Amino acid sequence: MPTSFFGWITFLIQKYWPLFLSGAANTLLIAVVGTAAGFAIGLLVAIVRTLNLRRGASLVKRAALALTRGLLTAYIEIFRGTPMIVQAMVAYYGASQYLGLNIPAMSAAFLVVSVNTGAYMAEIVRGGILSIDRGQTEAAIAVGMSHWQMMTGVILPQAIRNILPSVANEFVVNIKDSSVLNVISVTEVFFMSKSAAGTYYKYFEVFFITAVIYFILTFTFTRLLRLLESKLSGSASYTVYGSQTDHRAEIELRREP
Amino acid sequence: MSTPRAVQPAQPILRVEGLVKRFGDNSVLTGIDLTVAAGQAVCIIGPSGSGKSTLLRCINLLELPDEGRVLFQGQDVLGLPPGLLHARVGMVFQQFNLFNNLSALNNCVAGQVKVLRRSRADSVRRAMLYLDRVGMLPYRDARPAQLSGGQKQRVAIARALCMEPQVLLFDEPTSALDPEMVDEVLSVIRTLKDSGLTLLIVTHEMAFARDAADRVVFMDAGRVVEDDVPSRLFTAPRNPRTRAFLARMMRG
Ligand SMILES: Nc1ncnc2c1ncn2[C@@H]1O[C@H](COP(=O)(O)OP(=O)(O)OP(=O)(O)O)[C@@H](O)[C@H]1O
Ligand SMILES: [Mg+2]
Repeated sequence: MPTSFFGWITFLIQKYWPLFLSGAANTLLIAVVGTAAGFAIGLLVAIVRTLNLRRGASLVKRAALALTRGLLTAYIEIFRGTPMIVQAMVAYYGASQYLGLNIPAMSAAFLVVSVNTGAYMAEIVRGGILSIDRGQTEAAIAVGMSHWQMMTGVILPQAIRNILPSVANEFVVNIKDSSVLNVISVTEVFFMSKSAAGTYYKYFEVFFITAVIYFILTFTFTRLLRLLESKLSGSASYTVYGSQTDHRAEIELRREP
Repeated sequence: MSTPRAVQPAQPILRVEGLVKRFGDNSVLTGIDLTVAAGQAVCIIGPSGSGKSTLLRCINLLELPDEGRVLFQGQDVLGLPPGLLHARVGMVFQQFNLFNNLSALNNCVAGQVKVLRRSRADSVRRAMLYLDRVGMLPYRDARPAQLSGGQKQRVAIARALCMEPQVLLFDEPTSALDPEMVDEVLSVIRTLKDSGLTLLIVTHEMAFARDAADRVVFMDAGRVVEDDVPSRLFTAPRNPRTRAFLARMMRG
């Protein structure tokens, strides 16, 4: 048996690397799926919540919209107001005891993280929509666009660019917070670490490795996402067409936005 | 009224009847009647807060009127499908309100493709045509953030023209512009008048109203106070409020 700290670290990595690796892969998978699905949920919820019925909408439509809004607000408040670890327990055991559903742990993980992230994303997207000046909304209405056309064609492309840092942040939060899913036996990296630590009672050494794994994941993805953000912020130059027929007449103009 | 008005239309393209608009307790429009003949250019003038913008916004339903009606070609605008109303009655805003995520060209294409369901190729062709008409064709690839105020407003006008509307509403199209850019926009608007489009223009440019409008409407406190041909309204206003307002404007 190893005697030093580094001896144990080396030993544990050699012995348990498949566990760490598959745990890390699952953690990443949960974060990716949960963030992507949560983002989609957030977009849809925000589109519905910003819908204003135009003139002459029937009473039924108005009532349906009011009810939907109420439900969406409840969803956002409840999922932001309770810990994800509790949501996981309630969903997992609720499904098995009352619905007779034995959801595979991984599916439960996707579901819980997506729905939880969706609640946060809905607020982030709404903030992004509010950051776009009202004038563009009016211009879109004035050319006759529907709410959906305006949102997808004009408002959301700008809103999403503005909220990208917050969306990236949700992804990093999900890498870390998916660790709570160990309570419903999801085989993410925290759960795997617990199993690995138990055999030799080497909790410190194992979780030291786990910490390093989490840090590598979050650090790498923070940098990658930042790179993506700067790519998406686009070019500041455009071509002025000086002549229709002669390409030599093209002039490059640069102006600070 | 016994005084004959400028060319009273047989078939008005736009008719506003008893329009009332309130914001809470604040009555902003207190019974507006207005008739616009096809092809006319009507300028609306009046002090700040008199309800000029609100009137335009009620016509294309950016605001819902509380009482009264707006008729487009004899039909209540509330009964028209939104896409149809907005395709026929376009609007140009004080702050331009270009779609900031789109190039000048795509600002002009978006409405055609989405609302009129024109093909992309057809929409681009028309966008080029109208961008050329406002002198912005060379800048078709520029984003709004890369254009000057006058250029943005010309793109906004092209965007509205691409829908091939019958009526175009302008809400102080030059008020947000530096003085040296005002003329480039006003001269574009003048060419629209010659093309037979019906124009309803809220403006503080008195010289423009005087020589470009067929009719000038003076509004004060939510009412139409005077409605006449510019030659008379500017030289011999009948209402003392019109006179006071014009005196203030002329003094600068
Ligand atoms: N959405 C709104 N909510 C509440 N009050 C409003 C709203 N829009 C306009 N008002 C009020 O209605 C009145 C008339 O406004 P409006 O913008 O129509 O005036 P205007 O004649 O266009 O003035 P200006 O020359 O300054 O543009 C103002 O007192 C304004 O404060
Ligand atoms: Mg105004």
